[in-house]
Amino acid sequence: MTHTAVGILLVVLSSLIEGLGEISFKKSRLQRQRQVFWVLLGVAIFVVQMSVYTAALRFLAVGAAFAMASLSFVFVALLSKYLLREAVTPVKWLGIALIMAGTSLIGAYA
Amino acid sequence: MPSSLGFPYKVAIGLALIIGMDTFVQLIWKVAALSLPETPSLDAIGAVINQPLFLVVAGLMICQLFIWLSVLGEADLSFAQPFFSISRITVCLASAYILAERITPQQMAGIALVCAGAWCISRTARNTIPGADERP
Repeated sequence: MTHTAVGILLVVLSSLIEGLGEISFKKSRLQRQRQVFWVLLGVAIFVVQMSVYTAALRFLAVGAAFAMASLSFVFVALLSKYLLREAVTPVKWLGIALIMAGTSLIGAYA
Repeated sequence: MPSSLGFPYKVAIGLALIIGMDTFVQLIWKVAALSLPETPSLDAIGAVINQPLFLVVAGLMICQLFIWLSVLGEADLSFAQPFFSISRITVCLASAYILAERITPQQMAGIALVCAGAWCISRTARNTIPGADERP
């Protein structure tokens, strides 16, 4: 596996982990009796996410990594839909697609 | 169709605070990072601990977490999280203004796309009403 492929894999993994961290934070608001548990879990997940992203930066240029990290918007939407039963409408998907394209352009030319 | 009527002032103010803080954090982080040794070492860890700007960054991040949790109490995660992307615009603009970094035409196009995406999401319901999508 090439260095670039390892970097891409790590950014994708980091985006997925970020999505799981956000789910934990949202769960803290939905399950008030386990609020502290979900917040601490969310913080722990973000520490792991930052480590994975930092590792990815060893294999990829910052601009490319930053652009690919916008995948987190997709993972958050998918995880919200399937784990939290939130309504993710076609308009929301359109917005997410536009944001992904925009952040990719901003990052790629940074 | 799930819906939440009325302008979500609490969500809007919370998101504006988070985006403002995030912009500030990114700029301070960059300035603080420039003061560190180039090669990773124990000296670099010491420099981080002794650099007050990193403490400011940590403090702001904790504030952001509490505001973010309060926003999540008012809105769906899939509604609120994409608005974080606006901080990428503000960081880009602020770094151009304060740090004299250049904004390319491609980045300007990116800013326009992010604004369009955020506008699309602002048109959707901010909270899912359980069972609203289910047909009888």
